[in-house]
Amino acid sequence: MANVLRMLGIHKRFGPVKALGGVDFELEAGEIHALLGVNGAGKSTLIKILSGVYTHDEGTIEIDGQPVELGSPRAAILAGVATVQQHPELVPDCTGVENIFLGHEGRKPGLFARIDRTAMRAAAQKLLQRFPIEIDLEARVGEMPAVDREIVAILHALRNENTRILILDEPTSTLTEREKASLFQLMRSLRAAGIAIIYITHRLEEVFEIADRFTVFRGGRNVATLTSQEATERGISIPELLLDEKAGDLFPERDGKADGDVLLEAKGLGRSGLFSGVDFELRRGEILGIFGLVGSGVDELSKTLFGAIRPDEGTMQVKGKAVRFRGPHDALKAGIFLVPGDRRTEGLAMTQDVVFNTTVAHLGRASRLGGLLKFGRNRLDTEALARDVGLQPFELDRPVSAFSGGNQQKIVIAKGLFRDSDIYIFVEPTVGVDIGARAKLYTLIRELSRRAGVIVMSSDCDEVHGLADRVMALYKGRPVETGGWNASRDQLLSAGIMGARAA
Amino acid sequence: MKTLAKNPIYLRILAFVVLLAVVAAIFQSLTPAYLSSNNIHALLRHMAVQGLAALGLTFVIVVRQFDLSFPGVASLGAMTLGWLIASNFGVGAGIAGAVAVGLACGLVNGIAVSYLRLPDIVATIATGGLAIGLSYFYSNGTSISKNFFKSGILDLNDAKYFGLDAPVAILALTAAIAALILHGSRFGRAFYATGENRVSAVYSGIRVKAYVLAAFAICGALSCLAITLLVASSGAANVTAGSQLLMPAYAAVYLGAALFGAASVPATIAGTLLMSAMLNGFTLMAVPYFYSDAIVSTVLIVAIAAFDPKVSAALKRLRPARSPKALASTSLREVRS
Repeated sequence: MANVLRMLGIHKRFGPVKALGGVDFELEAGEIHALLGVNGAGKSTLIKILSGVYTHDEGTIEIDGQPVELGSPRAAILAGVATVQQHPELVPDCTGVENIFLGHEGRKPGLFARIDRTAMRAAAQKLLQRFPIEIDLEARVGEMPAVDREIVAILHALRNENTRILILDEPTSTLTEREKASLFQLMRSLRAAGIAIIYITHRLEEVFEIADRFTVFRGGRNVATLTSQEATERGISIPELLLDEKAGDLFPERDGKADGDVLLEAKGLGRSGLFSGVDFELRRGEILGIFGLVGSGVDELSKTLFGAIRPDEGTMQVKGKAVRFRGPHDALKAGIFLVPGDRRTEGLAMTQDVVFNTTVAHLGRASRLGGLLKFGRNRLDTEALARDVGLQPFELDRPVSAFSGGNQQKIVIAKGLFRDSDIYIFVEPTVGVDIGARAKLYTLIRELSRRAGVIVMSSDCDEVHGLADRVMALYKGRPVETGGWNASRDQLLSAGIMGARAA
Repeated sequence: MKTLAKNPIYLRILAFVVLLAVVAAIFQSLTPAYLSSNNIHALLRHMAVQGLAALGLTFVIVVRQFDLSFPGVASLGAMTLGWLIASNFGVGAGIAGAVAVGLACGLVNGIAVSYLRLPDIVATIATGGLAIGLSYFYSNGTSISKNFFKSGILDLNDAKYFGLDAPVAILALTAAIAALILHGSRFGRAFYATGENRVSAVYSGIRVKAYVLAAFAICGALSCLAITLLVASSGAANVTAGSQLLMPAYAAVYLGAALFGAASVPATIAGTLLMSAMLNGFTLMAVPYFYSDAIVSTVLIVAIAAFDPKVSAALKRLRPARSPKALASTSLREVRS
């Protein structure tokens, strides 16, 4: 067994917090090795030590049998460790080729040293020859689909020829199924070229699809390293390994037939170029699931229902009354709350604390007549709501940027609860949320549906199908016949991915 | 910055007091008159002018916009005040007229930036230039001091309210109202939410355009209130009156934000106090204004650097890295050749 990397007895503390308590980790040359663990289990810390962002307190790291010191990101790169961050920073106005060689453009001789585009293109071609993948590197990165950006970031990391180890931090979190396939294709060709890949993901089904082995982290230690085959043969449940407890079903029980009053009705709703012909009815007490990939129009539909985009065809009725929203403030007044898909850019004021964010969507309730804030009352309300949603850690004065993805989502939900709306629209509610927190979020959404109407829009078919009472799919802006509101998972999946009618 | 951001508030206050004490000690050792009662009164009066302008600017900075028009707007306010007094309309009408002019200019800025979506820096430079141009209309650019003595405008500088010099009392009252709005009311929450993340603010039902407009309007009105105090203390209205407001106001807001972690009313007041303590010291030492301007500008740059997390992160990276036993790099030789 050729181990390209050995990490032994790695310890890391942050002040009083023990992040890693003796982690042993081995990576073979040319394997795809998935790291699993709930947020805070230690996988990110280990990755940051390996990529030179943090230095470990104890333990040794060997690359190719040689002990190495990875004191800085630069040292890690020189040692052959390349990292692609979760949201890679690329220059949107430059082409793929230019991004790959950013800072290493090379130059032609002469007084006005010009960038040597020919050599850059040749080098890019050489990279593509080593790792065959279909991509147009002459396109501007800003106009590329998410997967191509990810590939550019990976090629950027690989331009160093001595790269032996590639770290991918949740590369699939924003990709659709089809995009995922083309990323996996690249990963396989990297593996064939002898590069070992460490791959962080929250999606277990991907592990079986792509990874040769996986290591589960829990409480700052590695608790198991297995091949996918071993896990299947021995009947080991990964969620149990992750959570250290018998994981219940990820999705809460359905309540049965919803027969509440009709809260929201859309008839032939459309906006040219984005989506059209959307019909549905939402009743109190139910979860309506809408499955659609990125670009299918779900995001735009959610914003239209919330008044941020104006429809140019069709009608909307809230509790039997026709509405035309001039903006989200009208939608909020009508009793609609949107939990947007991107909490960091759309849902939260990141440097402000929990109380600020919880109360900001209903400042009328948060203040007296005249506008003075009810500081004590707001804090008590926030405390109660934070307890309801299970905020961890329970620190209301922390800026929300200091919470994990799942807990940030809980804060957005608390904000919606403070608003006390009748209709809640969730877009991609669990993107970037670890599996332990996902179950909790699903339970919260189900509880919410007992007194309100809930719409869940997602590009995760299992999420829509597992959570919702009734489902529909959107494909290229149009609702697709799925075989009724009770379509099976496969019917829903093929409808949303290929626009296929149910067989 | 990040470590500073975690520090409890009393450490920040302590840092401010120490800084202020150091500044005071330096000037006291250079010019013994610095801490005299007369000079402290003068310092505080000066601070009142700068503080009012900086308070207005604070609202604009909180919604993350820039206003470069207020010096010009203040000049127009000063000339409006002077003209109204010279034309026997009285002090009350004069002040109201000046503040109304500032409010109007602020509304123009706000409409241009928030409803017409013009870039704030360019748009406010333009309205500022326009205001300066208009200020020449009253007297072709000569300073106005007619009727000043008998109108009572000078009393605004010399009177005492609640045992405080009138300008100081006006600043204190304005700061209290501004603090109530920004930190004690729903409107303040909306201002901060707008500045922090405009999309999430819109999704929270906040009418961000109205708040951006309001911030510019407040900034315009307060800069004209500030200039009223300056006119009262100098005894004449001048077309260049506002030009001394720009740099100290920005420096005060950013210095305060650097000290206290974010732009706020107490931070701005603290920043203004530091700025005024320095400017007053330089004046007392008879340092020519262009040198003290240069020093103020230096302080501004340092404050911005400290306020900007990117800069402090870059500074952090400057600490020496441990030398790695690195493998030889064979990076893209074919590209470089």
